[in-house]
Amino acid sequence: MRSFRGGLLIGLAVAVLVGVLAVIYEFYDTRTLKRTVRRGEVLCGVNKGLPGFSIPDDKGNWTGFDVDFCRAVAAAIFNDPSKAKFVPLDASERFKELQSRKVDILSRNSTWSMARELDYDLYFPAVAYYDGAGFMLPRARNKETSLDLTGSKVCVQAGTTTLLNVSDYFRANNMKYEEVKFDKLDDVVKAYDTGKCDTLSADVSQLYALRLNLSKPGDHMILPDMISKEPLAPVVRQRDDDWMMIVKWTLYAMINAEELGVSSENIDEALKSKKPEVMRLVGTEGNYGEQLGLTKDWVVRIIRQVGNYGEMYERNIGEKSKLKIPRGMNQLWNAGGVQYAPPMR
Amino acid sequence: MTDYRRLTGALITALSLVLTTSYASAQQPDRGDEPGLIADDAYELDPEWQKQVVYFRTTEAPGTIIVSTAERHLYLVQPGGRAIRYGIGVGRDGFQWQGLVTITNKKEWPDWTPPAEMIQRQPYLPRFMAGGPGNPLGARAMYLGTTVYRIHGTNRPDTIGTKVSSGCFRLVNNDVADLYDRVPVGTKVVIRQKPEL
Repeated sequence: MRSFRGGLLIGLAVAVLVGVLAVIYEFYDTRTLKRTVRRGEVLCGVNKGLPGFSIPDDKGNWTGFDVDFCRAVAAAIFNDPSKAKFVPLDASERFKELQSRKVDILSRNSTWSMARELDYDLYFPAVAYYDGAGFMLPRARNKETSLDLTGSKVCVQAGTTTLLNVSDYFRANNMKYEEVKFDKLDDVVKAYDTGKCDTLSADVSQLYALRLNLSKPGDHMILPDMISKEPLAPVVRQRDDDWMMIVKWTLYAMINAEELGVSSENIDEALKSKKPEVMRLVGTEGNYGEQLGLTKDWVVRIIRQVGNYGEMYERNIGEKSKLKIPRGMNQLWNAGGVQYAPPMR
Repeated sequence: MTDYRRLTGALITALSLVLTTSYASAQQPDRGDEPGLIADDAYELDPEWQKQVVYFRTTEAPGTIIVSTAERHLYLVQPGGRAIRYGIGVGRDGFQWQGLVTITNKKEWPDWTPPAEMIQRQPYLPRFMAGGPGNPLGARAMYLGTTVYRIHGTNRPDTIGTKVSSGCFRLVNNDVADLYDRVPVGTKVVIRQKPEL
């Protein structure tokens, strides 16, 4: 009898211990996919307000390229793009906030660089948008390349990498120029708009946004050349491979869909396709989705609800949007750009 | 009495003509061809369709023309990873094609002899129309290989960026004249279409 009670107590103690360990394990489990699924939503760190990329309206509805990418991740996991929740983050805090698990993913116009991966223990899975420093100038100046800018007065913001890139570029090409710099971006734009300089330099995506605020936007153009590399990419934590794979292949699936001609408009047709590449993409052949921890139709969910890469681009920043940024480098590799996704096979 | 009969006859003829024409255009709605309409040179294209220099990476040599039917853009490849991009109007669904051809002939203010298949589909079209501002081929034409297709101007600048033609590629007159002066006979033309599912 005594031994029976003793056994019962030991059994109870083991059960409690296992329970406590399970709770601790659940709490400290670092696998983002598991935590995200349990929470029922993806937490996305985004820019507080960058037209075309991520900006809320007065009702709190977010729109933009970075916002849509996060919705695509939510669509892949939950079959519901509205399961993406947006957390506005400052530039200075963004990497630390990701590291401290405040968000699951950064989709916040962040340039991929080696130092950032090393310093913050982070990982940039794939390039969503190829940006770089460029030049805006009045159309009337009739220039076709930045190599024609010798002797120009260049308006640029102080303390930015653009300032350094401009200096490198003109020096490397043995061209003279005059730097006209201001601490505030508003002052840079005002100086350019009032003709105090011949050209304004900033990242190209930013130049298209700044152009909207000029007194006569249509009179100004942005040169197609980029003088620096600013590959913008989503960011996740290192050693979190299940999650990293989902983020990476969500982007690649959207790029591959565009290349194969699969869009939100013909996704039902694509499900009937007999082309092997299309069948693997939409999951009528193979089980890549399940191997990712998702469902066979994970790409269908993305394309139906968010669209392919080109649709996401055009809607938010392309030539039919307010910003009107030509595809340029962000066109597919076989259509004039460098966007290239590894095959899904 | 004769006058009365003649008038009735004329009325019936006129009425049947109108009916046939409207029947024909209902069968083949074609907003693209409007012979006789004088092009509005002041028409301003959307920025997307305006001629501009863009980033363009390709293994094709400078001077090559690349037509992207899906994008409604024509690229003239330039050195240094750039291209001059023009907005174009392309073929209706079912009238698009792809391939590799060369420019075999060039004409200023070309005459227009719509091919037999086109007449069959659109019987209201003229059999022949002399070159000029009212001609749907516009200011210039560049012949593509041995096909019936051309890169040409237009008297309908509002159709740039749309799919309306029978397979030709149209540019606004200023653009087609600009392109015409840049490309010789023998220029390689690559026509790309959206992949099929």
